[in-house]
Amino acid sequence: MMSTINKSRRFTVPIGPQHPALKEPGHFEFVVDGEIVQSASVRLGYGHRGIEKAVESRSWIQNLYLLERICGICSHIHATAYCIGVEQLAGVTVPIRAQVIRTIVAELERIHSHLLWLGVAAHEAGFDTLFMYSWRDRETIMDILETLTGNRVNYSVNILGGVKYDLLPEHNEAIRMGLDFLEERTVHYVDVVTNDSLFLRRTQNIAVMSYEQALIAGVTGPTTRASGVKRDIRLDAPYLAYANYPIKLMIETHGDLEARFVVRLRELLESYQYIRTLLDVLPEGELKTRIPRRIKAGETISRVEAPRGELFYFIKSNGTDIPDRIHIRTPTLANIASVTHLVIGQHLADVPMVLIGIDPCFSCNDRMTVVDNEGSCDVWDGEKLRQYGIEYYQKRST
Amino acid sequence: MTNDILLKLVQEQLTDYVMEWVIPEPNRLDGSLSSEQLLTAATQLKNVDGFYLVAITGIDDGAENNTLEILYHFCIKVMIVTLRVTLDRNQPTVPSLCTIFPYASPYERETGEMFGITFTSTPDTSRLFLPDDWTEGVYPLRKDAQLEGVNDVHDK
Repeated sequence: MMSTINKSRRFTVPIGPQHPALKEPGHFEFVVDGEIVQSASVRLGYGHRGIEKAVESRSWIQNLYLLERICGICSHIHATAYCIGVEQLAGVTVPIRAQVIRTIVAELERIHSHLLWLGVAAHEAGFDTLFMYSWRDRETIMDILETLTGNRVNYSVNILGGVKYDLLPEHNEAIRMGLDFLEERTVHYVDVVTNDSLFLRRTQNIAVMSYEQALIAGVTGPTTRASGVKRDIRLDAPYLAYANYPIKLMIETHGDLEARFVVRLRELLESYQYIRTLLDVLPEGELKTRIPRRIKAGETISRVEAPRGELFYFIKSNGTDIPDRIHIRTPTLANIASVTHLVIGQHLADVPMVLIGIDPCFSCNDRMTVVDNEGSCDVWDGEKLRQYGIEYYQKRST
Repeated sequence: MTNDILLKLVQEQLTDYVMEWVIPEPNRLDGSLSSEQLLTAATQLKNVDGFYLVAITGIDDGAENNTLEILYHFCIKVMIVTLRVTLDRNQPTVPSLCTIFPYASPYERETGEMFGITFTSTPDTSRLFLPDDWTEGVYPLRKDAQLEGVNDVHDK
């Protein structure tokens, strides 16, 4: 057995679970033949906190705060999905002004999430200037969110039956100024990611996922829209203000990394425009309505479009003030398995970019062990793997 | 195709397999079926307008009922069709959907380890979320799971 391993040029390269670039840890194993990835497997759970179990011993109101903390980036959308579900079960209609405010915050959150992703992805490609600019610009949104709610993350805008914060005329002005600035910047970023020849070498025709492959892989969100699949819950199953004010669907057809950049940047531009529309039409009215402490027995499903794709909540009540079961399918779980297919046939140097391409919600320190034929080990950390990717492309371009 | 027509079509196509239909909300259809019928029903559903699998939910009905439920949620646009299989809590086994929906694998791994449900011929049975040193036979999302000693594993 040993001798066959030694003769083979195939090595297993573990990546993760610690990863400085992202939020939640995950572990991948890539089997490589020389430079080319032959197969891959995924192991999650390093950030598993047992939230689905914990909700079964907390009241409906307590759970709102727990579920908002599932994710530090898309916290509002988790709370929104939960609120929509519980309100459906209770048969409560939220005032229209509260619905619009929820939607505005959801879109602001999408902007900060996409800008954050743009920075991380640029960093993985060795384009740190773009990383620093996009994160500087992201502060505009963080400041707006802080002005609105007092918090940069976990804004806690939602309460069961409405929202906690009103949107005042002075907020309106601040949001518009911020959006004007970001729009100008984003137009520039679209230009950069589609025209910078060095950057295109890292993105064009890399990890291509065709329309059919996207359907087979079951991916969701911008990742699937970059492959031309017309799927966006904001349009397919409109909730909140999306029902009355439809948002435009952003589709790219190439399915490569470049398309995943372009689709997210175009979604940013659409979000700016969409928030302006909502600010124009923001109706007067109540911010919240009463909701009972005990929720009627029953089962409901709530689906929303998180920044990373379709977020699915299944909520079951047994008629008490504590839920019987809440099941959450996050978009990353749908997307993460696609990485194990996407990387096959790709260069090892592209692996960090392919991973980033789906905007995964885990943090893992790309750490790889290079095992040579003699069996000695050399462990690479994330920085070294990133550097390897950059140097690999520098060598190839000369 | 309007929602009503689509709902009717799904009910017609799956009429041989589903024992009972419930319409909990206007955009939802909830059908109970036996585990033997699951694969054919899911295949039929995929052929109706391209339903895709969104999630697999496990529910523990408790030791007194001695059943587990497994819910397969399929969506297209606003429509959600749920196929519900009730399982024996002592020996819960269902066929894997991976031959029809290859991306079902992580969902099956999650439901399997959390509820102790066996998915026959699923390609990957390794743990997805639970730690490597998690006690065998403890299924955390079951209502009567004894988690006291298990948590201490990480404090060693």
